[in-house]
Amino acid sequence: MEELIKEIKTNIIEVLNLEDMTPEDIENDAPLFGEGLGLDSIDVLELIVMMEKEYGIKLKNPAEGKEIFKSINVMAQYISDHRTK
Amino acid sequence: MYFLADNIISPLGNTTEQNYRAVEAGRSALRHYPAADAAVLGGCPAETFPKDNVSSEPYVAARFSAEQFHDIEINGLTRFEALAARSARQAIDQAGIDVSAPNVVFVLSTTKANIDNLRTGEEPDETFIPSVAAEHIATYLGFTTKPLVVCNACISGVAAIITTKRLLDAGFFDHAVVCGADVLGRFFLSGFQSLKALSPDECRPFDIERIGLNLGEAAATIVFSTSRSRFRVECGAIRNDAFHISSPSKNGEGAYLALQAIQAETFHDDLSFINAHGTATMFNDQMEAVAISRAGLSDVPVNGLKGFFGHTMGAAGILETIMSKEALDHGQILATRGFEETGTSVTLNLASVNRTASNKRFIKMISGFGGGNAAVLVHREDEEGISFAKIDHSECKINTLHHIIVNSHTVTLDQEPITCHDCGQNLLVELYKQNIRDYPKFYKMDPLCRLGLVASDLLLQAESDIPQAVIIFNHSSSSQADRSFWATVSDPNESFPSPAHFVYTLPNIVAGEIAMRHGIHGETSFYILPDRDEHFINKIVNSICREKDFVNALVGWIDYPDDEHYLADLSYINKA
Repeated sequence: MEELIKEIKTNIIEVLNLEDMTPEDIENDAPLFGEGLGLDSIDVLELIVMMEKEYGIKLKNPAEGKEIFKSINVMAQYISDHRTK
Repeated sequence: MYFLADNIISPLGNTTEQNYRAVEAGRSALRHYPAADAAVLGGCPAETFPKDNVSSEPYVAARFSAEQFHDIEINGLTRFEALAARSARQAIDQAGIDVSAPNVVFVLSTTKANIDNLRTGEEPDETFIPSVAAEHIATYLGFTTKPLVVCNACISGVAAIITTKRLLDAGFFDHAVVCGADVLGRFFLSGFQSLKALSPDECRPFDIERIGLNLGEAAATIVFSTSRSRFRVECGAIRNDAFHISSPSKNGEGAYLALQAIQAETFHDDLSFINAHGTATMFNDQMEAVAISRAGLSDVPVNGLKGFFGHTMGAAGILETIMSKEALDHGQILATRGFEETGTSVTLNLASVNRTASNKRFIKMISGFGGGNAAVLVHREDEEGISFAKIDHSECKINTLHHIIVNSHTVTLDQEPITCHDCGQNLLVELYKQNIRDYPKFYKMDPLCRLGLVASDLLLQAESDIPQAVIIFNHSSSSQADRSFWATVSDPNESFPSPAHFVYTLPNIVAGEIAMRHGIHGETSFYILPDRDEHFINKIVNSICREKDFVNALVGWIDYPDDEHYLADLSYINKA
């Protein structure tokens, strides 16, 4: 799980262009949206693309994304339960 | 400015009359299309796509059939160009004007023109750039003046009408052929799919069960003139939300301000109806309802036409204005197909079926990516002999208060060079780190927006008064973002269309980003020209400055063809 968490953080930094951030800067249980990393609605959609591209998980509805992308911990759990690649 | 002639070519018909009759009878152009086989889509050049099947997911859209496109074809022109040219030709013939005269201008409203001509990793091919398409069309039609492309995302059509009115009112031209068009290819479909904005069923504007929009293809043309006729564009306004580049403002700020601006210009209590944008996305329709209510217009009948034509993008503002003008002429308010039950937080007077009406004015409103909103007021003049205030053709005096030039090697602010070490795209990062630092969104932007953001920030650091409007011109449109997005789509094995790349393929986003950064709620406009023609640019800027409420603006050229040849040349101007 540790490894997956680090990998998810690295992927997020890359796809969302979070310049000047390192995986260590992102806390595992901090919210990703709102006051956390300050991500917006396009970032949610971009993370949905990342889920499919990297882990083979298809999310139909952006509203589902909001739940899954609550924090790095929630994301990691969801990915390890549902990944197809 | 008066309507002289018009035309609509859509899957419902090839004339305004045919389209009006179809919609009046409740006929829709929306159809269900199945998903294409992924192997068929992967990496295929656009022209080999099966014409009716370019999506990896099933979808609903208003598309021309293969037979209809066959009838539209013109030798030497692309599908997009031929469609626009046929519509423009019909309207020109009807108007009986000579388009080779120097007092006639061609204005093209489009979002992506020939975008499916785009290739990655090959020899430069400029035919996907909208101004190149505009030149092909204008030459075919016989124009001798240079064409103007209004590329303001979904509001392009109404923005083109407003721009044209100003040019005619200023006396720069006597007639204008304003044509809006877009065709559907894989670029558009995959982009809107990545934004999860498409409805899998026929769209339901303003309805409680609406879940998204349907795309449509069409061309629509209006020939405008300074000579008197029965229908007149009384006034229009463009305003920005300054909220988000792809989500409308929660309180409908820009749309409300646009409605307020046209009411302030000329208030009438004899509005027949408001033709809304009504895309049937959750956020757009809610935003419009709030804006209409804030403007005190909740009692005015409202309709939306996307259930008949889909969202025809660059054509939408013009097509829907023509349909509304026809409805006014027929004493009707057309039905909002797909609407049954109110699905917005404020209740509007929505026309769910055709109604009769006798009033003489309507408002066309529209909103789009980049935070832009626009509205125009159209009037049917039945009374003979009404005289209007004589139009003042004198040019207005403009002061340039500050000026900046940023190119790939040098930066000059008010004629003083700014020291920098990097060049190319790294120069923009250096400028950001040196002068801005507190706006990490910079890193998410495409090169055109990075250039615009850095240049406008430096310029406005020299000025405490935030400008009211942002008016940008260029040649290369959003070519860098177009290529980046296409790269995420066209890989035969790994097609994952990127929503973040797609939004930047609308070049007006640069004006929207600047408006958002500085809280500018006035006009944001983006124009694409065949070349950097200062004379033409000055005419457009001058015509904007003649507006009664104009105070100051950030205007200029922002072009990013590649990392070596980019240029931002911006001025902060005010009315003398």
